Amino acid sequence: MKEYILLMISAALVNNVILARFLGLCSFMGVTTRIDTAIGMGMATTFVITVSSMADWAVEAYLLQPYGLGYLRTVTFILVIAAAVQFTEMIVRKVSPPLFEMLGIYLPLITTNCAVLGVALLLVEGKMNFIGATLFAFASSIGYSLVMVIFAGLRERLALADTPRLFAGPPIGFIVASLLALAFMGFSGMSTS
Amino acid sequence: MGEPVYSATDFSAPAMVEGIAQVVELDGKLAWLVPEQTTSCGGCASASACGAKGIGTTASRLELRRFQLVNDAGLRIGERVVVGIRENALIKASITAYAIPLATLLAAGGLAQWAAGSDRVTMAAMFAGLALGLVFARIGAGRMLLRGDLAPRFIRRASAGDTCNS
Repeated sequence: MKEYILLMISAALVNNVILARFLGLCSFMGVTTRIDTAIGMGMATTFVITVSSMADWAVEAYLLQPYGLGYLRTVTFILVIAAAVQFTEMIVRKVSPPLFEMLGIYLPLITTNCAVLGVALLLVEGKMNFIGATLFAFASSIGYSLVMVIFAGLRERLALADTPRLFAGPPIGFIVASLLALAFMGFSGMSTS
Repeated sequence: MGEPVYSATDFSAPAMVEGIAQVVELDGKLAWLVPEQTTSCGGCASASACGAKGIGTTASRLELRRFQLVNDAGLRIGERVVVGIRENALIKASITAYAIPLATLLAAGGLAQWAAGSDRVTMAAMFAGLALGLVFARIGAGRMLLRGDLAPRFIRRASAGDTCNS
């Protein structure tokens, strides 16, 4: 139990997908102008990363490894991720068409989010069991969503701040992102003893 | 009697997430609208090379998100209007669609791993948990629909300079 808790804390905070591994930076800068869109994107990404990582683990364990097809890993995972996004879109549309009208815009953006592929490749590297891989993917995506929401809150405040003209917009956004990354580096000093 | 229109300076009004949509069809007292493309997808410098385009054209994706409004304002085909939903409705919708199925999936997986300790059993339990979560999500979405939380509201006609991010 303890090892799973440590795995999740490590994936969400210490090795944060955005601020430590530098994955998913496109959506990090593109969808964080408002907190509500950051939450929508974060939750959709959390769902897709978790579901696609489960599928990727199964494909790796029961197809790629037994038949020595490791060289097809990247292309297979991309295919699985695209299928997972389409599956999610179909399910949301089927479960509730009004929910799809409201949330459907975020889903195609996830297909090209490198964080989804990055997490799948990392869990293969980690040689985890199924529950470990699922919890790792879930915690990684929770870390992604957390940083998205924090950064969106900061950008909403920055929009109201009196920023020098040369720094207004993305430049001050990048400076704040670097300070946030420095703050998250503090988690690497945590000790379990 | 239409819904109250909240002005931008009314701080007691619930926060609204606004967007711009175009009227594409009139059907008696109802108007059908299609949302305009937001800059989150399609407005960036790499839009022409974006991989998301392969899944469906932008126009076809927006057509899928077509919605209707009661046409109390006398809207005409081609008119651009600002529509909105309550900010907390978007968060509630995200929780209903994604968090509930994920919670049941992880709970079922955790229980199966604790009871059986086998990858295959855990996998089967997680899929069962996901299916159960989707049923709960459907019930939750139905309740939100009945309360009118998922319905966009007409706010005002868009002026020529209004964009999705203005």
